[in-house]
Amino acid sequence: MSGTPLLAARDIYAVREGDHGPVAVLDGVDFELAAGTLAEVVGPSGSGKTTFLLALARLLPGVTGELALDGASADGIAAQTWRTRVALLPQRPALVPGTVADNLRLPWTLKVRHGEQPPADAVLADALAGVGLVDVAPGRDVCRLSVGQIARIALLRVMLARPRVLLLDEPDASLDDASAGEVARLTAAFVAEGGSVVRVSHVRADASATARYRLADGRLEALHA
Amino acid sequence: MPDVTPGGAIPIGAWELAIATVFVLVAGGLSLRMGLKLERDLAIATVRTYLQLFALGFVLRWVFVNQTWPIVLALLGVMVVAAARVVLKRAGNAPPGVFGSSVVAMALTGFTVTFAVTALIVRVPVWYEARYVLPIAGMVIGNSMTGIALAVERLFADLDARSAEMLGLAALGAGVWECARPSVRTALTAGLVPTINSMAAAGVVFIPGMMTGQILAGADPLEATKYQIVVMLMIAAATSIGAIASVMLMYRKRFTEDGVYLEKGYREPAA
Repeated sequence: MSGTPLLAARDIYAVREGDHGPVAVLDGVDFELAAGTLAEVVGPSGSGKTTFLLALARLLPGVTGELALDGASADGIAAQTWRTRVALLPQRPALVPGTVADNLRLPWTLKVRHGEQPPADAVLADALAGVGLVDVAPGRDVCRLSVGQIARIALLRVMLARPRVLLLDEPDASLDDASAGEVARLTAAFVAEGGSVVRVSHVRADASATARYRLADGRLEALHA
Repeated sequence: MPDVTPGGAIPIGAWELAIATVFVLVAGGLSLRMGLKLERDLAIATVRTYLQLFALGFVLRWVFVNQTWPIVLALLGVMVVAAARVVLKRAGNAPPGVFGSSVVAMALTGFTVTFAVTALIVRVPVWYEARYVLPIAGMVIGNSMTGIALAVERLFADLDARSAEMLGLAALGAGVWECARPSVRTALTAGLVPTINSMAAAGVVFIPGMMTGQILAGADPLEATKYQIVVMLMIAAATSIGAIASVMLMYRKRFTEDGVYLEKGYREPAA
């Protein structure tokens, strides 16, 4: 990889209490992600894939190591600001009570985006149609959504906020094949526009991945695609 | 007709106390017969009631005669610390540091509300007049303790229940307050609703405790009413301010400096 990577992680170390004492879930992991790429991370269940994404999003307590975005060290970037640029979609996304539109505009209600304009109604309607939710009105209460619809709205929410890097933790685990295809298409479009994605997969492989890694025993190993 | 004290109260002797105890014995007998296994707790509670209240009676009698401001303030301090220990015990899943925050919240409300009432409403001749300060402080601290304990217990339970939602919020750039705000609201509602309900039911459903006591002690019901109104408002204020202060002092303790909510696996042992 040449030039400054968009996202760089050095010597990431995370320990978790196991049944027989502390276990290094991430044991000195190095990782680089170029702009406009999609990295897929696979590994057995419990190997630390989610922990890896949490560490990249600075959402993991007690983690050590260095992170940099566009060559700028994470030390000089407030955690909240970092997360608007390196945004995680958790494995079990939860929406807040309210309507679909309330949830899609949620990022703009936060202090960290003070002064930014939230997306207009037409943008929301287009975005919903783009993930196969053409029949879901922005005014629908989120308690009337299915699990699969919640997963796609949570993905839309984080994408509309335009982060530089998107961290997806098994985004299609609760989706049928057609919906999973829409998620893959949306992810590919995000990458084509210059965004970068780290995607943890367990169920399906992403055909558009530009790099593949395997996480096992605390180590991240590059796989030849 | 039994003798009446100078204040108008009918005195109670050993025989009368024994009769009251018989009723508890009946309750204990029922528990034994029905296999409820409550008789032991009931017996211990009864003995504690006798010992603690007699001890209180002797202490108050001594303090009323020998009152000095350091003694009165020291007793208030003991009450605050004892109340904070109760909060700590009830909020079993609270993070370390909750004891200190409870002491601060209760000292703040206990001292402010008590001395505001004794100085501005009752207008006691000496600011540390134990006959007024101690009973009023007892009611203020006791009630704010209940409110704080309910609010704190609910705060940490609700934060745990919303951990997935908060992770999603934090991942979008939300700060600690933005993540915790709904739980803070839920906690304060839980802490304040019993007090608000009891204000709404006072005089309609039940005669409040202090008013009952004053009437039994021979006071004019209207005078007792005015005192009771002061006490109820003061309890409402103390409970609200105490619960708000304690919840605001505590909610951050469950987050890292970077605003990450500490899930169960990442916590230090409980306080």
